[in-house]
Amino acid sequence: MLYKEWIKTRWFYAVALLTTFALCVYVLLNINRLVSLKGAAHLWEVAMFRDAIFIDMLRYVPLLVGIVAAVVQFVPELVHKRLKLTMHLPRGYVRSVMEMLLFGFGCLALLFCGNLVMLLLGLQTFFANEIVWHIVLTALPWYLAGLSAYILVAWICLEPVWRRRILNILISIACLRVFYMSPAPEAYNRLLPWLAGLVVVSLALPLLSVVRFKEGKE
Amino acid sequence: MIDCINLTHYYGKRCIYENLSFSVPQGRILGLLGKNGTGKTTTINILSGFLKPRSGECRIFGQNIIGMNPELRRDIGLLIEGHIQYSFMTIRQIERFYARFYPQWDKNVYYDLMSMLKVAPNQRISRMSCGQRSQVALGLLMAQNPKLLILDDFSLGLDPGYRRLFIDYLRDFVKSSGKTVFLTSHIIQDMERLIDDCIMMDYGKILLQMPVDELLGKYRQYNFRLAEISALPEMADVYHPTVIRGNVELGSFLDADELKSRLIANGVAFEDFSSQKVNLEDAFIGLTGKY
Repeated sequence: MLYKEWIKTRWFYAVALLTTFALCVYVLLNINRLVSLKGAAHLWEVAMFRDAIFIDMLRYVPLLVGIVAAVVQFVPELVHKRLKLTMHLPRGYVRSVMEMLLFGFGCLALLFCGNLVMLLLGLQTFFANEIVWHIVLTALPWYLAGLSAYILVAWICLEPVWRRRILNILISIACLRVFYMSPAPEAYNRLLPWLAGLVVVSLALPLLSVVRFKEGKE
Repeated sequence: MIDCINLTHYYGKRCIYENLSFSVPQGRILGLLGKNGTGKTTTINILSGFLKPRSGECRIFGQNIIGMNPELRRDIGLLIEGHIQYSFMTIRQIERFYARFYPQWDKNVYYDLMSMLKVAPNQRISRMSCGQRSQVALGLLMAQNPKLLILDDFSLGLDPGYRRLFIDYLRDFVKSSGKTVFLTSHIIQDMERLIDDCIMMDYGKILLQMPVDELLGKYRQYNFRLAEISALPEMADVYHPTVIRGNVELGSFLDADELKSRLIANGVAFEDFSSQKVNLEDAFIGLTGKY
């Protein structure tokens, strides 16, 4: 199953890896330019007293990557109801679909971890650890939103009934809005474990749609 | 091999059929014939486990398809309408993918068929013609080597050459190894070359299930001229009579003498009576009507 998913999505993940890493490099180069122009002391001051995090342009990048990852992985399965081929394999169909989801979830998690590690290491060349973690913790909900978007878009794609699909879209928009409600840095610190838990639990949502698909709901 | 018992299905309030029952014996090739909207695809979807009927059950290898042990699907080959496969894979990748799921996988059968297509192993399926894709799908089914094949409209999108190629290969494969096949096609001439038995569906019911040889041996198309211009009375065992300017065409399983006796008994004066054997397509149209 992982072989099939890899063949289907490898170009997307290659492009996503290059693009997100390029954006991280761009953000770090921007900070480097500010240090050269205005000095490190000024940057520290802005970071500490004005709550600047310098990586705002990355805010919606994980969300976009999560959405596109789900579309690239699941839309081909729904075109001509190709998912039937996977469900006809001599193994439990829930297991097959779960493996597909975990593949995408795992790839995205790795990609996002790579992004965060890159930011962490890059930012450490400019700021003290406290400021670096302040920035990374502010960015963490964005990356959780990316993972959540992947699951929710998979849920939307796999839903066989259009009316339900529209309902799923509305619910998904409301869920994803939660990750962007507060622009304040570290506003989600206390909520982070809960949000992470909810993201993992939401992996069950696409399975509900798959059961409906199996029953021939249209 | 297949037992469908009292299947009833509705789409919304529209009844597709009620209490439909049929069986497919082992080692036979059975074709499901029916006009559009009579429930062929519905039946295939129920049989392949992708539609839960409103009531009734469908058993394959003695197990209800709903809740069937997934491992039993090793012995069921499924061809989805339009020869759908993972078109993002190449010929080699798709073979490697499926091989892991089937212990009896025979890749030589698949590659033998592929070598006739004159396409490279790294050719993407999405860049192949519909005919070539049909051969890929057939090659995968043959490599899987299942006991039962379920084929949904196998001739869809194929030109006459590829249809013939598909049928010849399939028939040879199925007959040489005693497979059971349940199939539909919208081109009935193709079915005639392939199937042993047929089920003809009319709206909401099965019209008949019998061996094709028996059907074509017994069914006759009759033509005659009414001596007096009048409407033909309703008669039993006569299918869809059409009267155009006094010329009658009808189909029946009655022999000529029996039909003549019935016509006389019903007060029908006729002349220029003739009967002829027909092919499966004409029998199908005769039995189900043109409309």
